[in-house]
This record gives sequence, structure tokens and C-alpha cells, in this order.
Amino acid sequence: MKPVQPPHDDNPCRPRHYKPAPCAPAPVEGPAKQSLETSHTRLIITGALFCLAFLVIAARLVEVAGFKADETRFARVRSDETPAITRADIVDRNGVLLATTLDAPSLYANARLIRHPERVAEQLAAILPDVSESEIAAKLASDKSFVWIKRLLTPSQELEVNRLGVPGLQFQTEGRRVYPKGNLTSEVVGYDDLDGKGLAGIERGFDDILRDRSEPVELSIDVRLQYILRDEIARTVADFSATGGIGIIMDVNTGEVLAMVSLPDFDPNSPGSATPQQLFNRATLGIYEMGSTFKIFNTALALDTHTATLASSYDAIDPIRIGGFTIHDDHAQRRWLTVPEIFQYSSNIGSAKMAVAVGTDRQKAFLTRLGLLKAPSFELHEIGAPLVPSPWREINTMTVAFGQGISVSPLQMATAVSAVVNGGVLHRATLIKRPDGYAPSGQQVVSPRTSEEMRALLRLVVAHGTGEFAEAPGYLVGGKTGTAEKVAAGRYEPKGLFSSFVGVFPVNEPRYLVMVCIDEPKGNKESHGFATGGWTAAPAVKRVVERMAPLMGIQPVDEDSPEIRRSLMVGSPSPQGQKIAAN
Amino acid sequence: MIRLSTLLWALLVALSGYAMFQIKYEVVQLEDERARLDHRIDAAREQIRVLDAEWSFLNQPARLDQLAKHFLDLHPLGADQIGHLAQLPRRSPSPPAAAEAAAPPSAPSQPTAAPRLANARAAVMQ
Repeated sequence: MKPVQPPHDDNPCRPRHYKPAPCAPAPVEGPAKQSLETSHTRLIITGALFCLAFLVIAARLVEVAGFKADETRFARVRSDETPAITRADIVDRNGVLLATTLDAPSLYANARLIRHPERVAEQLAAILPDVSESEIAAKLASDKSFVWIKRLLTPSQELEVNRLGVPGLQFQTEGRRVYPKGNLTSEVVGYDDLDGKGLAGIERGFDDILRDRSEPVELSIDVRLQYILRDEIARTVADFSATGGIGIIMDVNTGEVLAMVSLPDFDPNSPGSATPQQLFNRATLGIYEMGSTFKIFNTALALDTHTATLASSYDAIDPIRIGGFTIHDDHAQRRWLTVPEIFQYSSNIGSAKMAVAVGTDRQKAFLTRLGLLKAPSFELHEIGAPLVPSPWREINTMTVAFGQGISVSPLQMATAVSAVVNGGVLHRATLIKRPDGYAPSGQQVVSPRTSEEMRALLRLVVAHGTGEFAEAPGYLVGGKTGTAEKVAAGRYEPKGLFSSFVGVFPVNEPRYLVMVCIDEPKGNKESHGFATGGWTAAPAVKRVVERMAPLMGIQPVDEDSPEIRRSLMVGSPSPQGQKIAAN
Repeated sequence: MIRLSTLLWALLVALSGYAMFQIKYEVVQLEDERARLDHRIDAAREQIRVLDAEWSFLNQPARLDQLAKHFLDLHPLGADQIGHLAQLPRRSPSPPAAAEAAAPPSAPSQPTAAPRLANARAAVMQ
């Protein structure tokens, strides 16, 4: 478009500032005009933006000064609110520390910076006795920028190394697992490797949980009971020159394991020096033929299925001969025995006949319900699967009745006996503390009545039977002895015994189960050469009960008081019936 | 007029600049202190862990057992040493003053069991 020129005005007197009004709107065309307009717009936009920015700042200032005065905010997150994740502690049921992680320096070297590897190696070897000089020299001579010299030094070693002042030697802080109770809880707590990976016990079974959480894991173990049990078993093992000992204390009403001992044990602070025998947890991983303690289940089975009552009696005059085997009694009475007498004198013949009367199928079903025929679920990985007869013939029915031909772990045994005596409810065994007042659910495996009868029978064994040495006056111990010959090379070894006693107290209202097994005890002078459960394990149980009962706040009672006698009376309501049966 | 307001603004700018730097340095100082405290807390926590472990180590039952056997004349509590309140003899019908007179606190060196029990019972009743 052609710009419109203003009309020419040649009047000399016209005012200089006068500009004739254009007849049309002022033309906006022209490059100058356009650029002017653009810059104008830009100016407005920029100004507006600045205004906005200042407004925001002002608003923020008002906000910070006026409203956020009390709220402190930090750009940096506090380091200790999210502490470096260390492995959780393990404590006992009373909060006593069993395993913790402490900082320990680990020595490493930047080999490229080491000038005289031989000389440094010599100096280091003098400070670190368990690392060889040649090994260190080889590491230092390598061309690596990071080689471990030794993990987890002691404070004094750290000081010595620092004193050398060798450039290129450096420390890194690592967590070192410490077990202040040493051997005492070694089989339960287990141990870790250098990288904090659990290798045994709770450390292995709870590896993931220990890694993730910061609160300590509370075990059901009571260190005081653990000590009492270990002390008494160690004493018994020494007295009878046994190869090992096992002990379990269990709360029969919750299934909590309060103490678990397997001797020989090891120091978890230096697991590398432990022998396989020491690392082996006999209480859970070991399986054994339990012997006569199995008669607890056999008798409960007969009573619960009503194939026998406490007044029934069986012919125990002659040994049973079946399939080339002879079943005979250790405390032979050579007469008809009632059910309580069979239990009291631990008659194999009578037990076998009771089992045959019940039948194989019901026996198998009953033992399955008690959890004796398959590996139990437990917090430890060291769990032994039972050895069960297969096929299960009549002779197996007979031998299982008195605990031969079937091998179970002591833990399974303790769990099942707890169920028989606590009113008939099976609780899963656990190593984790139950909260106070926790009523665990369980499976009813025998009737409360059977349980009551079994308690009376267990008391009878201690009061007038094979378990007399377990009598702790005032604490009403009930229990059953067991002596099994160990199987070696396919046959029973008369000298290799596995002697046990499983006790419950106070038996009229059971709270705790104490089980002691002694592996291969040899008779001594005090026991007149005997090494059976009644002579070895039963006295240990008595001593454990006497030491633990005051700790657990159990009131001693008078065994001869009428209420106690009535609650533990054995036999049918009519005394004549029992007498006839006994004849 | 213009000059006065300019002066005022300049003064305000200087003041706020000063205040800002002042606060900044304070913050830096506080943060340093905080880091120092954090470090000390960490160290104290580690020390507590060490002391806990040591406490547990020194309280090993086997060690306590040995120490108690060596230094104390105490024995494990027997069942016959524990009694019930109900086992105590009935309170004598005489008023408490008489009972006290029968077994005064500064009693003979070998008081018999009965007055002692009566005393205990009186104490329980109170």
C-alpha cells in the first residue's frame, strides 16, 4: 500500500506543532511504527511478569514471616532419623540382649599406594596374628585399589594399625554381630557370617525380618531358665559321661519354648572353631527313638478311643513273640496289669496289647493329629523329619506303642506331650514371645477327660513308679521315663542308651513341661550302674523344677492335702472294680 | 521529596541486606551445631549399644552364679521355705498391744517361731 501523504501546507504562519488532523485514521504502517509497537507490547509483558514475580515473592514473604514462623523446615534430612539399617537385635522374653550389632573397623588397603609391601606386611602381621604375612604381602603387591586385609578388628588392633601411619591402609566401619550370652543360647539364636547373613538358628530362620526391622525380635526364651536347664544337663552329662544332652522347657498352654538346650554347644562369637557335633541342634534337628515316653500317647490313645478305661487290665505274664522279635518288660511284674500299672511300671507287653486293641489305623491317625508323623513347622530351619515305619504292620503298631521303630525330634515330643496334658489342645511350638494374655488357638486332639486321666497317671509314675527321682516336693511333678536303645548298624545297641524324662508341673494344673534327654549315658557308682531315664534324666528334671519354680512364682502345695489327692485320683469311681481288675 | 524517599529505600535495602546476611550466618552456625550434635548422638547411641552388650555379657547367668557362690551366703530357695498366709496361726484374741508385749521388737536373741509368726501376722493385718 502506498502511504498517504498529508496535504501540503505552505502557510508560513501556521503553528509549528500543528499537525493537520488526518481525514482518515492515522496510518499505522511503516517499519518504524511496527517495531515501536512490538517493543511496547514486550515492555508490557515483561513488566507484568516482573510484577507477578514480585507479588509472588511478597506473598511468600508474608507467608513465611507471618504464618510459618513456628514450623522449622530443613533442606537436609536428619541422618539419624533414618539410621543406616543395622540388623535388628535379638532379646529374650524379659528383654535380655542375646544378639546385637556393634560397629567394628575393617582394614583394607589401596595396594597402588603401598610403596614397600613386604615391610608393611611384616608390620601388619605382627598386629594381626590370625592373618599370615605372605598372604598380606601378596595382597599388597597386587595392583588393586581395594583389597581387604582383615575384617572386624578389635579397637586395640585399630589403634596399632593407625600408629603405623602407612598411607594406603584404610578402615571401613562394618557391623559386627555380637552374642553376649555366648554358648548359653547358641543353638537357639544361631550365628551370622561376616556379611551379616544368618547361617543358623533364629539368625537364619528370621534372616529377612532381622534385616528389615529396627526393633528387636523378642524370643520366647527365658535366659534364666535356659541357664538352669543347661547347667543341670551339663552336670548330668558329665556325671554319666554321656555324649550329649537335650533339654526343653515349654509353656504347655501356649506352646512357647522357654528354654532349649542341646549339648555340646558352641560359642556363636567364633562359629568357625565349632565342630559339626557342636553345631548340630539335637533338640530340633536330631530324631531319636524315644522309648517309653511314647507310652504317654499310647495310653492317651486307648483312653480317648474308649478301648480301655483306667480299670481295664491286660495280660503281661509272658513276653510277646512276633515275627522273630520278643517284646519283654524291663520291670517285669509277670501278672495281669491294669492300665495305670502298665504305665507306672512301664510295661512294654501291656502297652503293645493296648495298641493292638486300638488298631493300627486309629493309632496312625492319632499320632498324625499329635504332629508326630511329619516335620513340624517351627521358626528354625534346623528341623528333623520323623522316621516313621513304612509299611505300618501289626508289629510296628506294637513297637510304636512303647516308642520303638519310630524316631521323632525332642521338640515334637515336647509339643505332643504338652497337648496331652494341657486339656487336650495342641499348640504349635514357637520360639517367638506371645503377648501377655494371648490365647493361642489350637486343635483339640484328646478330650479334656482323657487329659485329666493322663495327668493323674503321670503323677502316679513320679509318686510310685519309675520316675520317683523326679519328685520335687511341693511342686507336684508328673512325668514319664524313657530309655531307648540306640540303633547302630541296623540293630539295637544295649550299651548305647537314649535316656529321657518328660515332666510336667504342677501336674494338677499344668503350666510347664520340662524334658531332659541324655545321649549315651554310662551308669556310675551313684546310680548303681544304671543309666536309664529314671536314674539319669529324672533327677535332672527334679533339680530344674526346684530351681525354676520359685522364679516362675509357683506356690508349693501339700501333696497330701485332700483336694490335691482328689484331683489326681486314679481309677474308676468304684474301688472294687479296680481291685477285681488288678487280680 | 523524591530525594527523601530514595534515601529511605536505600536505607531499607541496606538494612534488609544486613539482616539477611546476619540470619544466613546464624543458620549456617546452627546447622554446624546440629551436625555436631547429630554426630554426638550417633556416637552416644553406639556407646549405648556397646554398653548394653557389655551389660548382657557381664550378666551371664554362669558368671553371676559363680560370683554369688563366692561372695554371698545364699542358697537356692527350697519349697519348704515358702509359706501361705493361711498357714500362719490364728490371731490370738488378746489385743495387739499384748501380742507386741509378748514379742517386743528388741526380743531375745532366739525368738521361737510362734511369736515371730504372730508378729508377721500382725504386720499383715495392719
